[in-house]
Amino acid sequence: MSFKIETQTLDDGLPVIRLEGEVDVYTAPQLKQAMIALLGKGAKRIVIDLTKVEYLDSTALGVLIGGLKRLREADGNLLLICPSARIKRVFEITGLDKIFEMYASEEEMKTATQKEPD
Amino acid sequence: MANNEAPAQVELIIPCQPEYVGVARLALLGIASRMPFTYEQIEDLRLAVGELCTSSVEWAQKNKMHEARIVLRAEIFSDKLTVDILDTAGPRRCGESTSRDEEEENLAQLLITLLVDEVEVTPQPEGTLVRMVKYAGQQ
Repeated sequence: MSFKIETQTLDDGLPVIRLEGEVDVYTAPQLKQAMIALLGKGAKRIVIDLTKVEYLDSTALGVLIGGLKRLREADGNLLLICPSARIKRVFEITGLDKIFEMYASEEEMKTATQKEPD
Repeated sequence: MANNEAPAQVELIIPCQPEYVGVARLALLGIASRMPFTYEQIEDLRLAVGELCTSSVEWAQKNKMHEARIVLRAEIFSDKLTVDILDTAGPRRCGESTSRDEEEENLAQLLITLLVDEVEVTPQPEGTLVRMVKYAGQQ
């Protein structure tokens, strides 16, 4: 039940929050804080890396939706890296896979976002 | 186990606090793994129990019931798993949401409804009892 969170910057300057373990009512506030910190620094696009997440609940979804709303209000976006079928299923059964921009890998996301203007 | 046999029971009591919700999920994972559920069904159960316990935690925080607890009682039948989540988190007043965003609560409700076969909510003197049922061998 360990949880880790780390904020990094990708080569192209895009901030990424890497999560590991279980994101739930106990740990999701840390994700919220990390996102607020990036928003406070003026981030327009934020990447959330769910590669090492093994459990995610409605609390985590709520934090992600909140972040997405704030970013889109500022013409930004929240990008999710989610290779796990188990985690992706939570987005699918709630219909949120149609709302979030989701990628199977960091490489896939980089290829797609390099085609878009920032 | 034959259908007419008494179900095996497992009971877990945890503090109604965020850090213990994972303990309930872990217990449920152990119980469900002993039954003829598919991998996906076990994941559904784990998520559903997590959502129900989270709801209890949120109401305990809202009602300032710092000593509240959750009793998780699982009954293991040959063809189904029944899980009771009984909390002492105080009343859940209609039309009044917890500290959670309304959208988050709606998501939790949606998940619970989609993940298990039956859900029944019964107000109790000190909190709420939610009974959920998941049948094995059904998708």
